[in-house]
Amino acid sequence: MTTMTCIRPESLDEAVDFLHDHGPDTHILAGGTDLMVDLRSGENHRPFLLDISRIETLKTVELSDDQARLYIGSGVTLTRINTLPLIKEHAPALHKCSFTFASRQIRNMATIGGNVAHASPCGDTIPPLVIHEAEAVVANRDGNRTIPLLEMTKGAYRSALHPEDLVVALKLKTRQPGFFDFQKIGRRKALATSRMSMAVMADKDDQGRISFIRFSLGACTPTPQRMHTVESLFAGKNPTVELMNQGAGLLAEKMVEITGRRPSISYKEPAVQGLFKRMIYPMITWCRQ
Amino acid sequence: MSNDRYHTVGKSIFRRGAKERLTGKPIFCADMELENVLYLKAVRSRHPHAGILGIDTTAALSIPDVVQVFTAKDIPGKNLMGIINKDQPLLAEDKVRSLADPVALVAARTPQAAELAVAAVSVDYDPLPAVFDPEEALAPGAPKIHAKGNVLVQKKVRRGDVAAAFEKAHTIVEKTYRTSAIEHTYLEPDAGVGFPDEDGTLVIYASTQNPHYDHKEVVSLLGVEDHAVRIIQAATGGGFGSKLDMNVQGFIGLALYHLKQPVRYVYTREEAYLATAKRHPFVIHMKTGADETGRITAMQMKAVCNTGAYGSYGIAVASRAAVHATGPYAIDNVDLECTAVYTNHPFCGAMRGFGTPQMALAHESQMDIHARALDMDPLEIRVLNGVKKGTVTATGQELVHSIGFQDCLAAVTPEYRKAGTDWLSEPTPPHIRRGVGIAGMWYGIGNTGVQNPSTARVAMDRNGQVTLFTGCADIGQGSTTILSQIAGEALGLDAMDIHVVVADTKYTTNAGATSASRQTYISGNAVKQAADKLADVLLTEAVNYLKVKKADLRLENGSVRDARHPEKQVGFVRLASRILDKGGELSWQGYFDPETVPLDPETGDGIPYTTYAFACHAACVEVDVLTGETSVRRVIAAHDVGKAIHPENVIGQICGGVAMGVGFALMEAFVPGETISMNDYHIPTAADMPCVIPIIVEAAEPSGPFGAKGVGEPALIPTAPAIVNAVSNALGKRIYALPASLERVLDASIASGHFNNCYQES
Amino acid sequence: MTQTSVTVKFTLNGKETVKDISPEQSALQVIRDELGMKGTKEGCGIGECGACTIEVNNQAVNACLMFGVQLDGCRVMTVEGLAEEGRLHPIQEKFLAGHAVQCGFCTPGLLMSTHALLGENAEPDDSQIVQAISGNICRCTGYQQIFSSVRAAGGQHVQGRGQEDC
Repeated sequence: MTTMTCIRPESLDEAVDFLHDHGPDTHILAGGTDLMVDLRSGENHRPFLLDISRIETLKTVELSDDQARLYIGSGVTLTRINTLPLIKEHAPALHKCSFTFASRQIRNMATIGGNVAHASPCGDTIPPLVIHEAEAVVANRDGNRTIPLLEMTKGAYRSALHPEDLVVALKLKTRQPGFFDFQKIGRRKALATSRMSMAVMADKDDQGRISFIRFSLGACTPTPQRMHTVESLFAGKNPTVELMNQGAGLLAEKMVEITGRRPSISYKEPAVQGLFKRMIYPMITWCRQ
Repeated sequence: MSNDRYHTVGKSIFRRGAKERLTGKPIFCADMELENVLYLKAVRSRHPHAGILGIDTTAALSIPDVVQVFTAKDIPGKNLMGIINKDQPLLAEDKVRSLADPVALVAARTPQAAELAVAAVSVDYDPLPAVFDPEEALAPGAPKIHAKGNVLVQKKVRRGDVAAAFEKAHTIVEKTYRTSAIEHTYLEPDAGVGFPDEDGTLVIYASTQNPHYDHKEVVSLLGVEDHAVRIIQAATGGGFGSKLDMNVQGFIGLALYHLKQPVRYVYTREEAYLATAKRHPFVIHMKTGADETGRITAMQMKAVCNTGAYGSYGIAVASRAAVHATGPYAIDNVDLECTAVYTNHPFCGAMRGFGTPQMALAHESQMDIHARALDMDPLEIRVLNGVKKGTVTATGQELVHSIGFQDCLAAVTPEYRKAGTDWLSEPTPPHIRRGVGIAGMWYGIGNTGVQNPSTARVAMDRNGQVTLFTGCADIGQGSTTILSQIAGEALGLDAMDIHVVVADTKYTTNAGATSASRQTYISGNAVKQAADKLADVLLTEAVNYLKVKKADLRLENGSVRDARHPEKQVGFVRLASRILDKGGELSWQGYFDPETVPLDPETGDGIPYTTYAFACHAACVEVDVLTGETSVRRVIAAHDVGKAIHPENVIGQICGGVAMGVGFALMEAFVPGETISMNDYHIPTAADMPCVIPIIVEAAEPSGPFGAKGVGEPALIPTAPAIVNAVSNALGKRIYALPASLERVLDASIASGHFNNCYQES
Repeated sequence: MTQTSVTVKFTLNGKETVKDISPEQSALQVIRDELGMKGTKEGCGIGECGACTIEVNNQAVNACLMFGVQLDGCRVMTVEGLAEEGRLHPIQEKFLAGHAVQCGFCTPGLLMSTHALLGENAEPDDSQIVQAISGNICRCTGYQQIFSSVRAAGGQHVQGRGQEDC
């Protein structure tokens, strides 16, 4: 009783052509780690399975000639994110998040493109990508376009992609920041869905003032958030414990604004502040060095 | 205790069955190849409580490859199951009492067809008001789950004069504790296969902890003679109590009875979560009084536990909870009561410890609170109150032998003290607070105040080959290895030289359930008795052959020899032939039933168990005061197991128990309707585990085989309270409900002020 | 077989394997049901337990999360590929000697995770071991005897986790 047909293009053009004709009837198979779970939990089987894992161009990681952009192919697995020196150097928070992403088995299969396209609020790669102002390079038969990551997610598990779209790569603004971090809270230390995650990168001037900062919150809001108000609070200042506490309060306020007061907020409201402080406190020390 | 006097006991030999598991042999039910096998799947209730007005199977039967759909009316025998009280139908008749209740059973040629048919069975329900909270279920006017009412059982233990003792008490501590439903999460989802034998016997392989009970139950469901059904325990991928119930066995029996064709039922993980027993959630009100020295003089305990839709092992849980409420402490005045209540929660049954882990949270928290009130050391108050030789327990039993609790306390003391000084004083990042906690436990080996015998047979053939026949299900804990060692020791053979026939109702006699930490002690004794009888016959024959008196003879490596003149010996082969030729018997049955005295229904007076295991765990934790994340860094676990027959197996039980305790303490909670798959229910991974330092204390039990008691359940019991006490030590704020989740720990951190004060401007 | 079946060719435990499969079948179903290799277990079906861990192109993966079609062209190894001519693989020997097997349902998956780990790093340190095996749930052992068996397989000779570590 077979209901699916499998298509296994070798090139991007073939894949895009197929999606043009059959997009709404097609499951895109990259790593498969989310798709298999969705199908098991009752998502309707579509007639076509488009296996894009043979498209080698989706697996490249490149630095632009001016070193200002890092292109990470959508088919790059989390294990490669974990091991590629280029990523460790130019997107260190993304590198850090790969250590606690699900399990080794899943990291070996799961792709960064899949994590982005799946639009799960808990996608661990999202906050680290957001702080690089990452854009998704999306292909369809009409050509390529880019979607800023923050616009990629319309709601929990709802992406801005059209059925004929294929995420080709993530384009990151590179930075080797003086300070960076990724933090998450899960119910256990491995194989844990994030209850909350966040990423930051920052630089300081010679007076120890924050000269650059980007901060992103994940998992505890339906869509990923870049927290500009929190960033502005720190910009140009010497970070102090007081400033950090202020930032934490502001962050919690913003989060509650987005999510409303649901039962889970009684944990999330303090925890988001706690996690923020845990992440930012070392930045205070670093700024004073 | 030296192992030198033993040939194989006390030695960690390679485990029986390990090679098959390491090489992936098809020994589990899901792996077994069968020709023309039909796939079974149950239609389960969509309502927590509803009458059944009608079931229409027409649409399901019209699906290609669907062979049959069974309902309650197809059950030829008695449609009622339960090991202690029978209240659970195999297929619901007039009503459903939980979301998990099976209503119909589909048999189909493909798994896909079975699934389609399940969706196509149409059941006309008449929804009834449902109740999930046990205290609400006790209120007048609450929906009635069973005709006899919502109280499954109430167990009481009373002794002394509690009121008078509270009157005189220097300090009184009164608290309420709560625990969650826990899912066993054995790695192998429930599974079974069945096929008719050439002679028409219905053969069922099952993943089970109690094949002989399964046999009795299937026979009763089908209304057939005993010999018409044969149950064989397949390799069983863990059980922890949940595979004591009839999970797939009855369905397989029913389909086999009607279809006379091979059938298979393998639960998905989701179905295993939905349909099998859980650990009883408890609400425990506990009040204890102490004198000014810290001696606990009185305990009043009222607990309500939620048994859900069916009794399963609920009566045993309530009974054990009441008996164990004092913990391993001598308390002269007690008033203890545990009520198990029916609700529309999925049914709860046996899980590692039967109510004792829940009770340990209460008594070990109380101990720490008393210690704090009196400015005593948590270890000292336990030493002061801990049972010792001569202690009379709450049920009036005088403890005489093998009381290793004080030894366990002493064993953890050095590490515990070191942690309290060195480890606690090491610098940590400001958001990390460290704490050290300690907890004790006692655990009666075997069933509570009821007969629970085991039998075994040890036989030698003409070639001198010894075979052990035991009905004892090895579910991963290693009983087959240990029972072989016991037989081997008695006969002077290597354990691996003994053939074993295990848990097959055609060839083995009843060993009772693999539960209650009873198999090493009870089945071990039955095996030893059988082996000793065989050994005695061999020795008697050797006396005649070697012309040496029995006292000087030894059984060694397949021979009997003269201890004074080792060259004087005779092999088993020769002895076997001589005995058989004379019409002698080389096949011997052993029987052991621990001596218990049933408990008085009002006072609980009696002897619930012949012997008890004891333990003490110390836990070192780090709490992130900003997020509520708790890391258990180290657990020192001292266990009095009696003689350790196989030390590495004991260590395996201890470490596994600690892991389950970490889950119970910090992360596990089964929420019906929300916990669907392993994505929703977290148990510890390797990354969550502390370093465990197991310490084996061997207070030999005179009535145990070579002095052995048990360790399976004890391993888990002190871990969670030790962790909770450590978290409390870290935060200066106590948590009274399990799990001590992110939310609860963060709440405690906020309440204690650590959350706000963790970072200060330097 | 309907027209939508797919032919996959891969090396399974060193043997060329060709099989027509349905596109929706998981790698686990292909290995267990189509090829009859029952060593790889299903514990959860959603990548949360690791009982179905196999090695694909030297990497440990959850066979339950992988489509069978993804096996095409790969080098696949299951637990059946470890022992040779009845002789246990050194990792299996360490697990046996280290008492790392209780119920045994998680064992094949853990062996494959260990094999993949040692394939990329012959002498892993403790944190690398934890990273490699924390996707494999074991409910029986508490992982300690498994951990020390993996350590031993990776050339370390410390019993247990070693008290100096904690």
